[in-house]
Amino acid sequence: MTMISKIYALIQITFRESFAKKTFMAFFGISTLICLLFMFALNLDIVDGVKSSISLFGKETGELIDIEEVIFKIESAVAVLLFSGGLFMSLFATSGLIPSLMRQGNVDLLISKPLGRFHILLGRYLGAVAIVAFNVFYLVIFSWLILSFKTGFWHGGFLLAGIMIIITFAILYALMTLLGVVTRSGAFSLMITYLILFFSPLLLQRDQIYALLTGRIWGVILDGLYHFLPKTSELGNITRLLVQGEPVSSWTALWTSLIFGIIMLTTSTYIFSRKNF
Amino acid sequence: MNAVETFQLAKYYGNGRIKALEDFSLMVPQGMIFSLLGPNGAGKTTLIKLLLGICFPTRGEAKILGKDIQDYTVHKNIGYLPENHRFPDFLTAQQILHSYGKLGGVSSAELRHKIPNLLALVRLKEWGNVKIRKYSKGMLQRLGIAQALINAPDLLFLDEPTDGIDPVGRREVRDILLELRNQGRTIFLNSHMLSEVERVSDEIAILKNGELIERGNVQQFISIEHTYQIRVKDGRSALPAILKKLEIEGNVKNGSYVVSVTDEQQLNHLVDKIREQKMTIQAIIPYKISLEDFFIQVLGDSQ
Repeated sequence: MTMISKIYALIQITFRESFAKKTFMAFFGISTLICLLFMFALNLDIVDGVKSSISLFGKETGELIDIEEVIFKIESAVAVLLFSGGLFMSLFATSGLIPSLMRQGNVDLLISKPLGRFHILLGRYLGAVAIVAFNVFYLVIFSWLILSFKTGFWHGGFLLAGIMIIITFAILYALMTLLGVVTRSGAFSLMITYLILFFSPLLLQRDQIYALLTGRIWGVILDGLYHFLPKTSELGNITRLLVQGEPVSSWTALWTSLIFGIIMLTTSTYIFSRKNF
Repeated sequence: MNAVETFQLAKYYGNGRIKALEDFSLMVPQGMIFSLLGPNGAGKTTLIKLLLGICFPTRGEAKILGKDIQDYTVHKNIGYLPENHRFPDFLTAQQILHSYGKLGGVSSAELRHKIPNLLALVRLKEWGNVKIRKYSKGMLQRLGIAQALINAPDLLFLDEPTDGIDPVGRREVRDILLELRNQGRTIFLNSHMLSEVERVSDEIAILKNGELIERGNVQQFISIEHTYQIRVKDGRSALPAILKKLEIEGNVKNGSYVVSVTDEQQLNHLVDKIREQKMTIQAIIPYKISLEDFFIQVLGDSQ
């Protein structure tokens, strides 16, 4: 029996635990509704394969629009919905997973199994990422297929956006894992993660607030925070560029955020491996 | 190879302020039921947690099945039922046994025939597909025992296994434990149910304030040397006079006479005298105190 199959069993438990929660069912329901909307309510009337008239719930726009532009707009809207609302919901729904793992009577039973503490935490982490990936890809792949079949316009950038959303979640969830391991509080981990998620646009605009600061030290601190914390605002921008098929000029935000995620996960594992339960 | 070995094992909490276990050395041979007794906070659960790597020792060493406790691969041959275990309540008993079996290193093929057998063993066969949030405490406990047995462990740690289980269920658990012991497996039991411990245990250890204060064979502890319980059918009133004449100490307990003799010869002499008086002897039983009495006595002596 390989370690991979044991980790897979942990992922499976986490997956089931997540799906037992109403939030993911709501996520799944909203995704299904959007797909059904695209499937039945959106009518894309293709003319010469390039132009079309569009109607939603039978109401036409009345003018001819570039179909590629329409697809980009719809896919961008779905991507924005996923990147903001989807991430928000996913973080909320998974916030209790680490504290529930560490509950007495559960964690001790897991530790008594022939797998290392690193594997236990990794299994839980991957389980949370897997459930979010399932939900995100459910919406992304099905809406992409529906839109592509209806228009005959196959644009892979939208799928890449799905991957970006999962990566962003994985980075933020690494932070939540660390906070969960240290504090055992889902609510606290969620608050701090939301704070960092919403602090990102502010840090991106830090040049404009330097003048308001009382000392140079605050500027250095802001710079430090910008470079260390995940750059969710820029990751959102990369996602938008991918959806719209535009070139991404810099991937720095992605790899620096990934480094942050790896640091958080490594620290979580270190603390978890030394904790007395 | 011993099932469990500890050398000067110690555990302190709160930066060394709270002592949970102090210089605890113990050897438990394989193939026996070994029980840990002690009042609340004595360190029983801490010891099990240390042995399973759930918490780390402040100092000392320990081995289970010949391997250092830091080596989690040995857990492949271990079953554990924690006190107040929490299984995910959104799963059914079958799903729980499958998931924890997988985590324990059991293959899917093995699990397919093991799960129904274990559910039948703990009387949950009809409940296998029901989500466990609908289970009673006793049913959850029985499921916990099945979970601990899923990998056919050589060494089983059970923390309060009969907690919440009805008398019939307790008897069944007892039978399971004895059967496992007969198969050569070692059971490390931690229980407050002293009557259960007395019935199944080969050896016990008594802990108090994190220290080992007594350890040995249960029967030796509860048997009192040269003391017998004598039950006679008629002419019971003549017995005190015989005892007085032979200078034997005796008192009535539950309708029988408990007598303390100097040796077996004096016991035989007493029997002769009783027979001379035409009394019918119904039973002569070596007198034993209950484990509870012994436990309280040991705790009292250690103060």
